[in-house]
Amino acid sequence: MSLLKPFSKLPGLNTANILLVENEEQFQQKLADTVVLQEKTVNVNVRLARSLPLPMENEESRPRIDLVVFIIHLTSELSFQSAETSLKYLDPGYFQGKVCFLVTSARNVSVPPERLVSVRTLAASLHCPLLCAEDQTTEGVTTAARRLLAILKVAAGLVPMATGLYLSTLTRCTVPSDIDQQNFE
Amino acid sequence: MDDSTKRILQRLIRRIPYQMLQKMLGKWAHLSNEDLHSLDFTQPKWVLTEHLLAFCEEKGLTVKHITELEMIYIIENPNQGMWHGFQLLDAEEEAPSIELTQFKEQFKANLTELIRHVSIKIKKHTDEAIWIRVAWGDNFTKPNHLKPTYVVHHLQTPYVFVTGLTSKYKPLLNQALVLATRYGSMKDAHLSGRNLIAIRDLLTRQYQQVFPTKHPKPLQEKNPVPRNPNIENEQAENTENRLQMACEAFGDGTLPQLQKAVYKLETKFRDNSNKTLTGREEPFRGVVEFASTNLLESLRHCVSSGMASTPVTPLLSSITQKGRNYFVITDKGV
Repeated sequence: MSLLKPFSKLPGLNTANILLVENEEQFQQKLADTVVLQEKTVNVNVRLARSLPLPMENEESRPRIDLVVFIIHLTSELSFQSAETSLKYLDPGYFQGKVCFLVTSARNVSVPPERLVSVRTLAASLHCPLLCAEDQTTEGVTTAARRLLAILKVAAGLVPMATGLYLSTLTRCTVPSDIDQQNFE
Repeated sequence: MDDSTKRILQRLIRRIPYQMLQKMLGKWAHLSNEDLHSLDFTQPKWVLTEHLLAFCEEKGLTVKHITELEMIYIIENPNQGMWHGFQLLDAEEEAPSIELTQFKEQFKANLTELIRHVSIKIKKHTDEAIWIRVAWGDNFTKPNHLKPTYVVHHLQTPYVFVTGLTSKYKPLLNQALVLATRYGSMKDAHLSGRNLIAIRDLLTRQYQQVFPTKHPKPLQEKNPVPRNPNIENEQAENTENRLQMACEAFGDGTLPQLQKAVYKLETKFRDNSNKTLTGREEPFRGVVEFASTNLLESLRHCVSSGMASTPVTPLLSSITQKGRNYFVITDKGV
């Protein structure tokens, strides 16, 4: 099993690398362009993939990936399933602040609400943050890019006094459990 | 002009959209230029219809002339109603290539022999296609001009496209066409669509085809879009492969516009979780229908984006490879 390992390569100077994983391969391109344009101080490299595992041929040239973002379109069940199967190919070291879930179309009426709930349970069980993004307008894309950059810089170790693990305890997704709900009554 | 002729003219004018009316009337040989100028095209349509009726009465035009106008309109706008494709088979070996006058005579003679009251109009279009308009009648009734059949045939190809044909007159038309074109028989090509040019292009393979190559990378002459060096696609080869397979199965560029693909299943039911239906002797009949405004474009996108698994299943690629969109699938194959 070719796992993607977080610490097997040396980091670059003033560099952060982000991997966007999306089954439909549409939003990742726009997001990549915006991310690279937004960031002026740090050298950001974006890798795009459809699913994990990544091809072996790129193993040598691939830099150390600091943040893996799974883009899930709630309008398609296949999107969620593809992200779930890709998760198996990540080394467990990534789940300490180096994985993030990005969800689109969360406000869409035709989306079954169970899907968002299952994404939230997945993110909560892995202690990862869940971001909602709006992919149809440029402001939406820019906002999503800025938020990802904020998390990326911490995960790459470029922000003093903050590590990915520390940030993830603050930003991780939570699902209100049944016990909490009973307390309200 | 009797009532039925007036009705035919009224219906025809109602059918032609107002913007095209001036152009169609201009092409019609029976209205002179002065008449055309005297018609005021800013009036409401029903006023215009009255004027036209008056003109036709003056000149003593008959149904024959009105059907010419209808034919002009249909040739300009063929995408109304369903067109069905047919293929002629078993050409006579020593038959010289058919030319237009011979075909016309033969067809008219054959059809009038088979059914007495029938009205035929044959016209050759600029793109070498022969358009035939047939209005059917019985032995006792006059031809019904409100429901004509249109046939398009390119003389040197074995394909015929028909619209508006009922099953009652189908064998008669078949026989007349087969005899006139000196073939042995005519069979249904199982291809139908609303767009005539699309089904013609599909049958004659006139869309941009892509052939499998050993080195699929395109020539590097074109200036590539400047990619940001910071962005890299990990699985670019996969994407290219999928696109190549999609184009091989369906073609490149603009694809002919098909609306439907119908698969009629006559296979046995096979699902181990459902014991009542599996294992029965009779086939489980079902129909799968794919519908879209541009079906081939949607299928190509499905394959290139990875929604449909590659290699492309022959059930889908036979739409373009065999040029049909109605399939009957039995257990032994298509």
